[in-house]
Amino acid sequence: MPGFTKQQGLLILWVGLLFLSVTPWVMAEPPRETPLSVTLPSDLMTFQPGPGREIAAGFCLICHSADYIYMQPPHSPQQWEEIVHKMQRAFGCPIPNDQIPTLVEYLVSQNAIQPASSLPRVAESSFAGTGTVEQGRQVYEAHCQSCHGSTGKGDGPVGRMLIPPAADLTATTKADRELLHIIQNGKPGTAMPAWKGTLSPGELTAVLAYIRDLARSH
Amino acid sequence: MSSPQDEPLRIQPGRVLGSPGITRRSLLRAALIGGGLTMAGIPLTYAKDAPTATLPFKRGARPLVTFPQKRPLMVMTTRPPQLETPFHVFNEHVFTPNDAFFVRWHLANIPTTIDPSAFRLHVRGHVRRPLSLSLHELRTQFEEVQLAAVCQCAGNSRGFFKPRVPGGQWGNGAMGNALWTGVRLRDILDRAGIKPGAVQVRFNGLDQPVAEGTPDFRKSLNVEDVLNDHVLVAYAMNGGSLPLLNGFPLRLVVPGWYATYWIKMLSDIEVLNSVDDGFWMTQAYRLPADPCGCVEPGEHPTRTVPIGRMPVRSFMTNVDHGATIPSGKPVVVRGIAFDQGYGIDRVLFSSDGGTHWQRAMLGHDYGDFSFRQWEARFVPVAGRTYHLQSLAINRIGESQRFSARWNPGGYLRNAVETVQVKAI
Ligand code: HEC
Ligand code: HEC
Repeated sequence: MPGFTKQQGLLILWVGLLFLSVTPWVMAEPPRETPLSVTLPSDLMTFQPGPGREIAAGFCLICHSADYIYMQPPHSPQQWEEIVHKMQRAFGCPIPNDQIPTLVEYLVSQNAIQPASSLPRVAESSFAGTGTVEQGRQVYEAHCQSCHGSTGKGDGPVGRMLIPPAADLTATTKADRELLHIIQNGKPGTAMPAWKGTLSPGELTAVLAYIRDLARSH
Repeated sequence: MSSPQDEPLRIQPGRVLGSPGITRRSLLRAALIGGGLTMAGIPLTYAKDAPTATLPFKRGARPLVTFPQKRPLMVMTTRPPQLETPFHVFNEHVFTPNDAFFVRWHLANIPTTIDPSAFRLHVRGHVRRPLSLSLHELRTQFEEVQLAAVCQCAGNSRGFFKPRVPGGQWGNGAMGNALWTGVRLRDILDRAGIKPGAVQVRFNGLDQPVAEGTPDFRKSLNVEDVLNDHVLVAYAMNGGSLPLLNGFPLRLVVPGWYATYWIKMLSDIEVLNSVDDGFWMTQAYRLPADPCGCVEPGEHPTRTVPIGRMPVRSFMTNVDHGATIPSGKPVVVRGIAFDQGYGIDRVLFSSDGGTHWQRAMLGHDYGDFSFRQWEARFVPVAGRTYHLQSLAINRIGESQRFSARWNPGGYLRNAVETVQVKAI
């Protein structure tokens, strides 16, 4: 039986034993006393390019990953609009009303054109870029500012509403490598998205350079 | 439109094929071998190691990814995690292994570290003595109970709705059967002392919304539905601790009821003296308020009620749609059946799309809330196409439906499934 771990093997064994006993009573393994800690994987996919993508990336990744949208059957424009209204009214998605029509068009373009098998999959990006502070500012304003705020203190209009709130990037004590890792892969359990499929290596270093610059000028 | 439901079932008398039945030995073999081949042998056609599995509906591609404490499962969504059990697992085990058990969270703010020694279960609200119980107290001060029960997501099989509906697009694998170990909720509530006038009990877990505007996920049950022998606060499944993604350290087990009530990381039990008016009870998980729980496709119900218990279902687990099967000798078709706790009375099997039925042999009975395995045999003729169907009937005579019901939430699917195979 190739491919079974010892644990699985044991499990199968006791399932086997169960069939032999008339009233199964399985001795539980000793209760766990030590803390259980896991790391959840970050998002497997992101929104694909197209008009309106920034709106989706800005408002539809706050609470859940993009696969929430891509796993849906192709919905009609009206159904997508209903879904967006539900996100807004029932769940508190902070999308302004005037952005909804563009977003709905984007969602329709996303769920009707490609079969699910050709959905974007985020590849492990080999990180080798350079970028300037000025490029970084543009990336930051497009993708990060709504959460981290114009000064980087985590007080953007969306960032303030989050639990935990968006990080104060001017107060971080982490090294460049750690920050890059978080920007690339997101932070599980928080609203911080993974950017590696969205931003090029050059844009990633650029935005890091800009964050460092923000902290200095602070 | 005349539905096949109007026609009486034609059950072929005396044609229960001479299977020796499901012996313990064959079940044991199935458990140990993992269902690759049965005695008369229908090969499984699920590609077990493929990096992506595809469910048979639009946008059904699901990457197979390993989450903590899990084997590779079909990822519907990553954050929060919603993971489906690949269907071949149900052929391999009557109890779904913990590392293969489906995962479904609503809110992405899930604690990723749990310290069992610091954890407390709170009991409060309309009670005489509010409690704060440690895991140790829970295990040592209450009677331990063990029970087999199916946990099935309310949206299981939603992807098969026609027309399709929004929501989680599950195939048939958002369910699992486990042997749960824990203590009775009733015993805990007795200790706290429910005050007269209590109406519902509300359950909350440690998961939290990501944004302020999202209502916390809490569910409530009527007091009379929880004061029984089998609603448990469980700390173990299948003999091991709950995986974190299945609710470590405690989860509510409500046998017979849809999994929406089986609150994970259960930390708070609140007795209410009025009906819960929260979002997840009044706006979500609602069914049309009629015995069918359905409306005409595309229509909106005028009155709705919270979803509750599960209708009877059965599945074939060792035959895949479109597979080829050997002819000339008996082929064993295997499956599982379950209901809301009356227990399975019989499973009927048809190889000709529901014209003739034979009674399947039932496997060991692990209790009224468990999966019940079954098997049936037939001898295929070379060159013919077969429409295999199974139909479960529970002990109060409730049977599966022939025509799928429809409702806008995508709930309650229990139509007879058809698997088409060709004999060569
Ligand atoms: C404030 C949090 C939040 C934001 C922001 C948000 N959603 Fe949701 N979304 C949810 C919750 C909560 C659910 C339901 C979770 C469940 O039932 O498992 C959900 C579910 C969904 C579903 C599944 C279908 C359904 O109705 O359950 C889709 C599709 C969806 N969201 C799309 C979007 C889109 C598009 C956006 C961007 C406009 C968005 N979401 C933004 C919280 C949010
Ligand atoms: C949807 C809101 C949101 C967006 C958009 C967002 N972030 Fe974040 N970010 C967060 C949250 C929430 C955290 C985690 C806070 C915590 O850990 O308490 C975080 C954390 C971080 C951290 C880690 C800081 C530390 O000291 O640990 C970095 C770096 C970061 N974000 C950079 C970025 C960059 C660069 C962008 C744009 C490319 C961006 N973020 C976009 C919400 C967001």
